[in-house]
Amino acid sequence: MKSLRIGFIPLIDAAIPIAAVECGFAEREGLEIALVRETSWANIRDKLVHGLFDGSHMLAPLAVATSLGLGNARVGLAVPFGLNANGNCITLASRLYRALEEVLGHPPQDPRQSAQALKRIIDRRKSAGEPPITFGVVFPFSVHAIVVRHWLRLGGIDPHNDVQFQVVPPPFMVASLSEGVIEGCCVGEPWNSRAVESGVGSIVVFGAEIARSAPDKVLALRDETLSQEPDAIHRLLRTYALAARWCQDRENHANLAHMLAQPQYLNVAPKTVMGALSGSLAINRTAARSMADFLAFEGADINRPDPRKARWLYAEIAMGLRLPLIENQASAAQQVFRPEIFDAATGNNALPESADPIGLKFGPAFEAEDLQSYVDALSISPAAPARR
Amino acid sequence: MTDQASILIIDENHARAAIIQAGLREAGHANVRWLNETSNLLRHIADIDPDVIIIDLESPNRDVLEQMFQVSRLVKRPVAMFVDQSDSVAMQDAMVAGVSAYVVDGLRKDRVKPILDMCILRFNVFSRLQEELHEAKMALADRKVIERAKGILMEAKSLSEQDAYVLMRKTAMDQKRRLVDIARAIVTAEAMLK
Repeated sequence: MKSLRIGFIPLIDAAIPIAAVECGFAEREGLEIALVRETSWANIRDKLVHGLFDGSHMLAPLAVATSLGLGNARVGLAVPFGLNANGNCITLASRLYRALEEVLGHPPQDPRQSAQALKRIIDRRKSAGEPPITFGVVFPFSVHAIVVRHWLRLGGIDPHNDVQFQVVPPPFMVASLSEGVIEGCCVGEPWNSRAVESGVGSIVVFGAEIARSAPDKVLALRDETLSQEPDAIHRLLRTYALAARWCQDRENHANLAHMLAQPQYLNVAPKTVMGALSGSLAINRTAARSMADFLAFEGADINRPDPRKARWLYAEIAMGLRLPLIENQASAAQQVFRPEIFDAATGNNALPESADPIGLKFGPAFEAEDLQSYVDALSISPAAPARR
Repeated sequence: MTDQASILIIDENHARAAIIQAGLREAGHANVRWLNETSNLLRHIADIDPDVIIIDLESPNRDVLEQMFQVSRLVKRPVAMFVDQSDSVAMQDAMVAGVSAYVVDGLRKDRVKPILDMCILRFNVFSRLQEELHEAKMALADRKVIERAKGILMEAKSLSEQDAYVLMRKTAMDQKRRLVDIARAIVTAEAMLK
């Protein structure tokens, strides 16, 4: 038996690491996995970087940022497996949601229309001298922050100048909405549903309505672990491929919900987990919304780490920090995602099918070789909003 | 000798925060404050404007501090995590103890290191105290179960206290189980047979 320590944050998208252990897939591959629950992404990163974990559930942009030395540590990380695509929502505080409904004349549905309505509210508040709207996101380097910025741009809102962002840990999200510290947030489930249930907020957009396949969480390892323990890592990836298939299968969702709900994992009621698994969520006190691909665990362009996605993450991180694009850094980011390890471990020989690995539903198309055009297409000049 | 660096402790555990505060004061750090607020942390930090931030690793608020690496409109001075690159073992010790330090605007490393070391020491002292307390509580609970089982045996089999105890101990040894497990089985069985 080979022992591995794997860190995770209690979220629904930790399903694959948890199911790999609970379903016995890991044991069958001769792996004894100790799952270690953590409370912050900073802990996850530090314990991985300093060798207290062999691998971890991690925000995809954090793996890229850490390898590039943006933010805090600078340590080469490797991503040999993607754990999920999408699964997040944008939720607005009830007062702001009602204001949006008033501007629209109906509850917000189409993301572009709702962002345009938000733009009118922001303009009105600006001219009245009121403070800007603050959005809560789970970490500076997160697909959550990226999704909010894309949504805002649909309405001609400049994410850097028209709104503020603040990091709020998911367990504090509902309280922060209710206290008015933030007026909107982007977070995974069950925190949006919690806001809706408690009457504090309403869901305005599903992340899957913005992007077809945004990389959310990944398995991250230290580069050196890959070279020191190639066999154990191959076995781990085979285990995760089995777990991914099991988690994706609707027939297993009731079991998966009970598994994740246990006290040592998410410690919530199983029905709280079911919402995200089924893709059917109450978005406010009276309405629900369903999307089959709200959250996906398995698929050719989800589990196999596509280096083009790493380049996308780099471009988005650079935009978020308002840094110029540097090709050296883009290449370094690209090398964090390791499809060859995935292929060697799982015997996969299929290349990704989609021409655009991200599939932003309102554009622009993402061309991995031409990051500058992508960034240019997204820059909003405050004088001429809504150019698309 | 007093060090005037302003130190902020972020810890939701009152008892542990008190132990750390006391340790730092004894070491000559007069300017120590403690925060257990969980909402709007950045605003509080901006108001206190510390040189060093000590945070409990169990706090999800560590991710809020991460935001301060980037220039934020909410904080006046940039913040960096204190990492002793030359001493990876020390960093592991800190993480195992459950504490992390952040340095605001480059306070010198030789001034931060002893502060973090003191905090690691105090975190470990606190963990030990908690373990001892837990053990004491468990021992007390075990003793109560054993007393209760002894009483049941004495009544059911008309045994003396000494004989009831000897019977339980012998059974435990024969079955290679702990005395308290045998006692618990007796108490459970009695409740079911009532």
